[in-house]
Amino acid sequence: MAAPTLDAVAHCTEFAAAQARAAGFGVARVHEIELVVEEIVANICRYSYADQNGSVELCCERLDGETLALEFIDRGCAFNILAMPDPDLSGDIDQRDVGGVGVPVLRALMDQASYRRDRACNILRVIVHAAPRLGAEPTAT
Amino acid sequence: MECKVRTLANVVLIEVEGRIDHSTAPAFGSALLPHVDGCANDDKKLLLDLSKVNYMSSAGLRVLMIAAKGCRKQGGKMVLAALQSTVQEVFKIGRFDMVLETYGTVREALAAISPAAASLYGNG
Repeated sequence: MAAPTLDAVAHCTEFAAAQARAAGFGVARVHEIELVVEEIVANICRYSYADQNGSVELCCERLDGETLALEFIDRGCAFNILAMPDPDLSGDIDQRDVGGVGVPVLRALMDQASYRRDRACNILRVIVHAAPRLGAEPTAT
Repeated sequence: MECKVRTLANVVLIEVEGRIDHSTAPAFGSALLPHVDGCANDDKKLLLDLSKVNYMSSAGLRVLMIAAKGCRKQGGKMVLAALQSTVQEVFKIGRFDMVLETYGTVREALAAISPAAASLYGNG
């Protein structure tokens, strides 16, 4: 359990990355999973709890050698990140909003996702396979 | 996350290192946005060297967009250079590659925006 502060984002991201590495996921996919978890937890803080105190649970289940299931549970107000509309990214710099790209990033990097509301809890289940969704190989450091 | 600032002729070169995520984005903004103010004075340009940024989430993209809009509002120019491949991919998802000017290397960026700065790069 972690309080929905910036610490929660870091804790959940680090936990998910460790689970992915332990499952043998490559560097690129671990990086993508960190982005997924960061976006989800940050949005839970912002929308489920309106940046007030609360709790977020992140459970990680290895479904098979190539697949992890990440389940996010919070007790905030009803909030389904999967229902958030995609922002309009087609405009020039004057027309673009300053934010809003977290949802497209999230959608690009998850393999499957589902949401349900159960006994005053938001439950978001995300499936991530080992194969990277993006084409990039991380730069060696 | 660290930012180092150098001035080369009329270019403010900001070398960014580390992760830019929800926890470090505020510090990134604090380091970057003061250079946006007055960015058009004396034909100044801003160049962000992102070669050592190995992770950037939407929080970092938001700071970049704020900075780019601020520069544009003042008639200034902000460009980016040397994005790592993973950061490039996130840029593409957010279509930031369509609204922000990026170059493969710092040297290419300097050559494009300030030959005077390019001649000083690597000499100091």
